[in-house]
Amino acid sequence: MSEVMQKMRAPLLPGVVALALSTAYLIALLAAEKQALIIGLLAFAVVAVLAAHYLGWLNLVSRSFADQEDVLGIYAILAACVVAAFFHDNHFVLLLFVTVLLYTVATLGLNIQFGYAGVLNFAGASFFGIGAYTSAVLSTYTAVPHLLVLLIGGMLAALIGSLLLVPVLRTRGHYAALVTIAFALLLKTFLEVNNVLGGPQGMQVKGMSILGWSFNDNFEIGKIEMSFYLNYFVVSMLLLTGTFVLVRRLERSWIGLNLDALRLDEIAASCFGLDIARWKITAFLLGNFLIGIAGALFGMVGGFVAPNNYTFADSLIMVSILLLGGIGNPWGLVVATFIVVVVPEKLQTIQEYRILLFALIVIMMLLFRPEGLLPRPVRRYFPGWRA
Amino acid sequence: MSRIARLSIIFASALFVGAPVATAQAKDKVKVGFIGPLTGGVSANGLGGRNSADLAVKLRNAHAKTKYEYELVVLDDECKPNVAVQVATKMAADKEIVAAATHYCSATAIATVDVYHKFGFPIIVWGAVLPDITYRAKYAEVHRVNGTMINQNDANAELISKIGFKNVAVIHDTTDYGKGHNEYFSKAFAKLGGKIVGTFGVTADQQDFTAELTQIKALNPEVIYFGGLTPIGVRIRSQMDKLGIKAVFDGTSGIVSDAFIQGLGPLAEGSLAFREGAPTEKLPGGKFFMENYAAQKYDNPPEAYGAFSFAAMDLILDSIEKVGPDRKKVIQELANVKERDSIVGKVTFDDHGQNTVAVITKYVVQDGKFVEWDDSEYATGKRKLPGQK
Repeated sequence: MSEVMQKMRAPLLPGVVALALSTAYLIALLAAEKQALIIGLLAFAVVAVLAAHYLGWLNLVSRSFADQEDVLGIYAILAACVVAAFFHDNHFVLLLFVTVLLYTVATLGLNIQFGYAGVLNFAGASFFGIGAYTSAVLSTYTAVPHLLVLLIGGMLAALIGSLLLVPVLRTRGHYAALVTIAFALLLKTFLEVNNVLGGPQGMQVKGMSILGWSFNDNFEIGKIEMSFYLNYFVVSMLLLTGTFVLVRRLERSWIGLNLDALRLDEIAASCFGLDIARWKITAFLLGNFLIGIAGALFGMVGGFVAPNNYTFADSLIMVSILLLGGIGNPWGLVVATFIVVVVPEKLQTIQEYRILLFALIVIMMLLFRPEGLLPRPVRRYFPGWRA
Repeated sequence: MSRIARLSIIFASALFVGAPVATAQAKDKVKVGFIGPLTGGVSANGLGGRNSADLAVKLRNAHAKTKYEYELVVLDDECKPNVAVQVATKMAADKEIVAAATHYCSATAIATVDVYHKFGFPIIVWGAVLPDITYRAKYAEVHRVNGTMINQNDANAELISKIGFKNVAVIHDTTDYGKGHNEYFSKAFAKLGGKIVGTFGVTADQQDFTAELTQIKALNPEVIYFGGLTPIGVRIRSQMDKLGIKAVFDGTSGIVSDAFIQGLGPLAEGSLAFREGAPTEKLPGGKFFMENYAAQKYDNPPEAYGAFSFAAMDLILDSIEKVGPDRKKVIQELANVKERDSIVGKVTFDDHGQNTVAVITKYVVQDGKFVEWDDSEYATGKRKLPGQK
């Protein structure tokens, strides 16, 4: 039996090649400074991906990823480390990279809500902000260990999110979305008028330090000076790996099955004896918890929190990452986060037109691939199983 | 078509698109930076500032005697603190960029001063007016050519009470800009014996002010003081008219922009506003600046703070010319700036890097233009503000 399964598995090679190519491309894009080169690289990526799709190579890659996910996951971590090592003394690129990692964690949280349970949440940035403000307040006024601060940030986001439980459970569809939008606006106004939390001017956040190791100082390995953001990269990478595994396991488990049933048809699910409220609450709180942790760490990375960082528009950016990547597919989210965070930044060279161009790109994507870049595949009940 | 043919076409097109790779230049260049809001609600000011900084660099490069060839690196902070921290890190971490003129929005400037300090990157703020930017910490890297909102509001309160107004209602946006203005104006006005009859905080993206204005109408103030930026200033002024409120509209530096007059048309008449520095035309180098700006045929006007951006950039270029492209030396050089002539008047940095020579200009809108109060027909008594004796 196991031999048969082994034979049916797709080869590892296409996945590894795809990873290696995208790593090389990412390094080239992040290192590129000249306007013509950046635009050329971006156009090249579009053409290359279309070509690969046209020739059927993308299919090979996705099959390879589907069957050999664990191995390729480890390669992906290695690839991220290679990129980080390449830019070891470049503060800005590492900051950008850490931003991508933490936004991925946050959208993974959002993914549990949107993608699995079908609970709409248009206040992602608000929960992100709750996490960030938690780390600002705790690191300014108390001596709570910083790793614990991350946890508390997540728990606080879940706790404050639980205020929304009753309205979210009692409303459906558009109305549930409205509840979360109202919450996003309320939270921003609350932060602005609250002088203890710095008011509109915001608060400074101290950098992370664990056991006397200050994350905000540059350090040296051998004779090579490393950027202090490398510290944050390690923590963010650990956080992302943990979250990714958690979300993947959750999806495959019976919990994920319950959540899927809930999303597809609430009434049918409840006829089969599923407790709708229970699973909605689980998904909503767990999602907010993850977003809160990411936010708490991001607050420390950025060193500054202000209400303007966590507006409704920022929540929409998170949702657009989710839509772009393909709702329900964690790998898609990773790709989409890179696009949404890195591309507008790289387009700085065209100044006031960049947001316009970026919006055009997103609209084109949604027009020609409305299911997202990497749509969620059919549920696989065990590895090697094919629908 | 065969598979091979298809492949080759695809690769050919990919090469074609990826080909325009710029070649490296051998010339010796010094990079300087500019950060401002190029997109979003206050982008008019950001673009004006960008053009003015660009003008300073171009004029300098056109000089035959300059030691270096300068290149301007421009980044967009979107008037958002989190984006600002990102671009500030990008600029400060780039060792090739020696110094920069940064930020129009107070929220972004206050969020980034720590970044500049950490990287030892000398900057001159060209538009943000929050006092804390220079006064919260004593960072050698941070300077500011424009004044703070404290000076602005002292002058504002003085004029209002001199005209004879006693009752003022305050509307301010709930950003640090609006809150700060409210605080300093209320203090200054109370000192002069005036009375604030009501204070209303509104969010910076609010559309409808009927609720606040209806309450204000009942309070019947002679003046409505507004601490905020042009977009909501335009809305409040036009909604005042709809509700039949006759009070004088008294704004801050945030509404000194051509967009304010364009947005309101004849309704703008008689609005007051205050800004640090003399009006661009009256500055020692104002004519020179305006002429050169016009000669470059930029798409956007310099707006209220263009001259400050120009002056900040010019100061940076002066310092680099003198001590060379070295951040530490530029910081030392900037600390010595005393009584330095610039197009915005004499510049003297105090120990916090704040320009202490803050001239405040009082403006009133007359016939679709911001006219200096002392030159206006309102000051001579030829025209009268509503309720003016």
